[in-house]
Amino acid sequence: MQAIRRTSKRLYYVLSAGMLVVEAVCGIQARGQTPAGPQDLKAPGFQEFSERVQKYLQLHKSVEGTLPKLKSTSDPEMIEAHQNALARKIRAARAQAKQGDIFTPAASEEFKKALSTAFQSPRAPNARATIKQGASLKEVHLRVNQTYPKAVPNTSVPPTLLQNLPKLPDEIAYRVVSHDLVLLDVRANLVLDFIPGVIPAQPPSE
Amino acid sequence: MIMCRRSLVIGVAGALLFLAPNQFADEFKFPLKPNSVRFAAIGDMGTGDSPEYETSDQMVQQRKAFPFDFVIMLGDNLYGGHSSAAFEKEFASPYKVLLDGGIKFYASLGNHDDASERFYKPFNMNGANYYSFKKGNVHFFALDSNYMDPKQLDWLQKQLQSAGNDEWKICFFHHPLYSSARKHGPATDLRLLLEPIFIKYGVNVVFAGHEHVYERIRPQNGIYYFTEGSSGQLRSGGLDRSSITANGFDSDRAFMLIEIADQQMYFETVSRTGTVVDSGVIQRQQSSEAAKP
Repeated sequence: MQAIRRTSKRLYYVLSAGMLVVEAVCGIQARGQTPAGPQDLKAPGFQEFSERVQKYLQLHKSVEGTLPKLKSTSDPEMIEAHQNALARKIRAARAQAKQGDIFTPAASEEFKKALSTAFQSPRAPNARATIKQGASLKEVHLRVNQTYPKAVPNTSVPPTLLQNLPKLPDEIAYRVVSHDLVLLDVRANLVLDFIPGVIPAQPPSE
Repeated sequence: MIMCRRSLVIGVAGALLFLAPNQFADEFKFPLKPNSVRFAAIGDMGTGDSPEYETSDQMVQQRKAFPFDFVIMLGDNLYGGHSSAAFEKEFASPYKVLLDGGIKFYASLGNHDDASERFYKPFNMNGANYYSFKKGNVHFFALDSNYMDPKQLDWLQKQLQSAGNDEWKICFFHHPLYSSARKHGPATDLRLLLEPIFIKYGVNVVFAGHEHVYERIRPQNGIYYFTEGSSGQLRSGGLDRSSITANGFDSDRAFMLIEIADQQMYFETVSRTGTVVDSGVIQRQQSSEAAKP
């Protein structure tokens, strides 16, 4: 009887240990499916980034408030004029802006980590395919306060990656240009900041 | 598991209810029922070159026999930037006859489009890069597949949830979730996010562009997918037909004509020269397991 009890106890421990191993493996796999979990957004670098974005947003709103409100119009010249005027005023308001003002060094590190994880995860081929869907990875030299080059089509930021980056207000969006992650004012079509070389080249296996 | 079972049932039912393309080409006719929803679909058209004009001329011709009321645009509406000259040469001028005839255009944004296009009144986007509208018993959802951020996904789920289960749910956007074309292939990362939502909320049909060919995909998880990205651009021979291809056309420009009458969707894909290259009827899938509000 005692022998049976001992065997049952051993079996229980073995099964429990097995379940823990399975759970751990599944957990790792599940984490692997999500490139950068929401918990990462609390990292100081991302917090700093979000604060800089909010600060920029205030500037954007104050500048846009000085312009006549753009409504839907059949006159494309009005749309173009509004965008140009907004870009000109924002450029003037942050004439001293330079790379790293919003993507601060601490923020850049967090983005690099998130992107590196994303491009090594099991979903990486999908993310890479998204980037390949857009423009070819030709070299484009970006500058802060520059109008987004009209000749460069939009390259989608991989949507699964986008779910795990700090959220942005409607006025601002992430863009991928060549190997750079860009922060764009979509209303002014203006490059606000960028992290160069953070998008990895296609691996030889793809 | 539930999703798989539902997909299987719908897929088989859909396959049975679908009339194979051209099998009945001679017999195919739009029913032109009173109060039906009639529209055209065009994609990757904004070149401003003569094939775009010739394709739009063909749309005008077709409208005499099939009086459609509006057009959905599957992105890459303007290739020449967003100057006022581009709006004129690549949209207002080629579609002048249709615009003058009161046809409404509903645009979605492609990777060549500037976000400022959403303020262009004839695109009916009302300043939003994603939006929805209703026509009869059909609910349309225009998405911005360039930038599928959490906010847009939340919006889409809420919109689909609030749409009635007895309505057709049609999504249109630029990047195809399924494609056999050689140039880009399917947007698989986008598919990871959108397809579960489409299945959960009972989306019936999806239209996309981006690939400069026409392709009809066999139902995937019970959903019908069409790519029409050759209404101005063309990648001749660009379709690499695969097991998911139900039909395709890659030797000339094309556009789609669609009529939704009650539970049936009739469609015809027409080339620039007026040849019908695909046609068929789809029975609306029953989404018994679609989420209820």
